[in-house]
Amino acid sequence: MGLLAYLSTHTYDEDYETVAERRSGRGGSREQAVPARAWSRGAVAAVVLAAFGLLLVVAGTQTSREALALSDERKDLITQINDQTTALHRDQQRVQALQVGNRRSAQQGQLDESRYRQLRAQVRRLSVLAGTSRVHGPGVAVVVDDAPNAGNNDRAKVLDSDLQRLVNGLWQAGAEAIAINGQRLTSLSSIRKAGSAITVNYHSLDRPYRVLAIGDPDTLPARFAETDGAQAWFDLQQQVGLRFAIHTRQALALPRATPDLHYARPVHEGGAS
Amino acid sequence: MIAIAGLVLGIVLGLVLNPDVPLWAEPYLPIAVVAAMDAVFGALRAYLDGIFDDKVFVVSFISNVLIAALIVFLGDKLGVGAQLSTGVVVVLGIRIFSNVAAIRRHLFHA
Repeated sequence: MGLLAYLSTHTYDEDYETVAERRSGRGGSREQAVPARAWSRGAVAAVVLAAFGLLLVVAGTQTSREALALSDERKDLITQINDQTTALHRDQQRVQALQVGNRRSAQQGQLDESRYRQLRAQVRRLSVLAGTSRVHGPGVAVVVDDAPNAGNNDRAKVLDSDLQRLVNGLWQAGAEAIAINGQRLTSLSSIRKAGSAITVNYHSLDRPYRVLAIGDPDTLPARFAETDGAQAWFDLQQQVGLRFAIHTRQALALPRATPDLHYARPVHEGGAS
Repeated sequence: MIAIAGLVLGIVLGLVLNPDVPLWAEPYLPIAVVAAMDAVFGALRAYLDGIFDDKVFVVSFISNVLIAALIVFLGDKLGVGAQLSTGVVVVLGIRIFSNVAAIRRHLFHA
């Protein structure tokens, strides 16, 4: 027999028929048996039906509760998706803004880099002028000393004013950097007598005095000879016997000075002035 | 009539108590309900045919529910829970429809 045919013919428990046949076979008629057991029969059926109803309701409420929870979850997820999408858009915009900022910063960095190089070159140039960096180049070396038999005669010795005149003459002749016995001359340097010695940059000097000047070695001696300082020195050389020798040098190396500024402050360009 | 009262009582009880179904029983509940419906409609038809028997009803109800749950349980263990559930629902559905048709014929003589 086919499954479907079987299903539609055996629609309820076959035991109902079996029990009914057995009962009628026992002799008692159905109509007699029924009233005798009617009450208990109804009660048992009622209990089972109550269980059925309970099952039905529980399943129904459970399903609807699950559906509710599911829809809540769905709403939650949709909200989350929307929130995250908004956050994503915001982040993307932020990324774009940051990329623009990065590009601008990179350009600014290149500008700063080139400006830094310019400034460094300027600082080096200025430090040569100010005497705060070591320099080398061609120039002249002037060696001066007291007269051989000076004794106590001050005029037979090299005075601070003599050195001042000599240095002045060298500046005048076109010297670009001067050092006396290793003391580089700066805009703050003084040449003066302190006690028995001549002091430059607060350093006492020992005889003989070696004055190194960087400049054009071809023109520097000749132009120096024309200055008043040179004239005075020639006079001293001939009359008092001070020793004076000037030589050109192709390679001179001058040390640097480290002057300290305590009060002078630069005026910032572009600031209130 | 007392049977109808039992059904109503059960429904009211379910609505009032609103019991929580334990998690492990959740998958078996719907299929158990379908199996129970089959037993109930079968009983109703037997009643109308005049061959209703309470013992048979109780036994068929309980066995229907248990076997349905067992089938779903086995199906879940074998990985074919959904398919087996569908099969059970189809078979029981056909029986329920035939029973309801027979009941209708009884009630309306049509």
